[in-house]
Amino acid sequence: MGIDLIFRIAAIGILVSVLNAVLNKSGREEMAMMTTLAGLVVVLMMVAKEIVTLFDTVKTMFQF
Amino acid sequence: MVLKIVGSLMVICASSLMGYVFARDCARRPNELRTLQGLLQMFETEISYMSNIITEAFHNISNTSSSKVSVFFSATVKNLMGNPAMNACEAWEKSVNENIKMTALNNEDKNILMSFGKMLGNSDLEGQQKNIRLAISQLKLQEQKAEENRKRNESMFKSLGVLGGIAIVIILI
Repeated sequence: MGIDLIFRIAAIGILVSVLNAVLNKSGREEMAMMTTLAGLVVVLMMVAKEIVTLFDTVKTMFQF
Repeated sequence: MVLKIVGSLMVICASSLMGYVFARDCARRPNELRTLQGLLQMFETEISYMSNIITEAFHNISNTSSSKVSVFFSATVKNLMGNPAMNACEAWEKSVNENIKMTALNNEDKNILMSFGKMLGNSDLEGQQKNIRLAISQLKLQEQKAEENRKRNESMFKSLGVLGGIAIVIILI
């Protein structure tokens, strides 16, 4: 877990929003939707490891 | 670190190049449809005023244009010369089938060309002229559609290529 993860997620967010705008402008709403979903999935996969460690931490806190 | 930067630059270059290639393909189709209309117009002149036979007419037409679509005409001449048992319709269909891959034309355009070929060489002058005009008007419709498509897609493919490359780099980095 480093600061670069946050930067990477931010970059993906910016890219996806720009892609969304471009695709919407050329009249491909469904493809714009798909790119948004793809971006979401990619970011979720990046974050999944961190979420697992968070849950582990919470679990160890409440196990005596 | 240097390796990473070089690699990401290569990925971005490749994907933007791909975008540019797709954009250029979009621009090629309306151009070729326009040329094809001109060539068919020329064919009408050849058979109505100059009364040339089909091989001569096609030979002249293919000589006047350097566009990719004139290959249909030269290939038809070659088919007709090479195989005397072939009629004009078969030769035209064969040449369209073999050469459509080299042009930017799609399946709908191919169907128009095929139906043009079906009437080729089996009616009198007036029937031929009507057939040619029908093909030209259909091609004009296709051209308008292709032009609309080009407007919509050209800039999209360009930006999509560059942005896709950047996205791949960010995900892989």
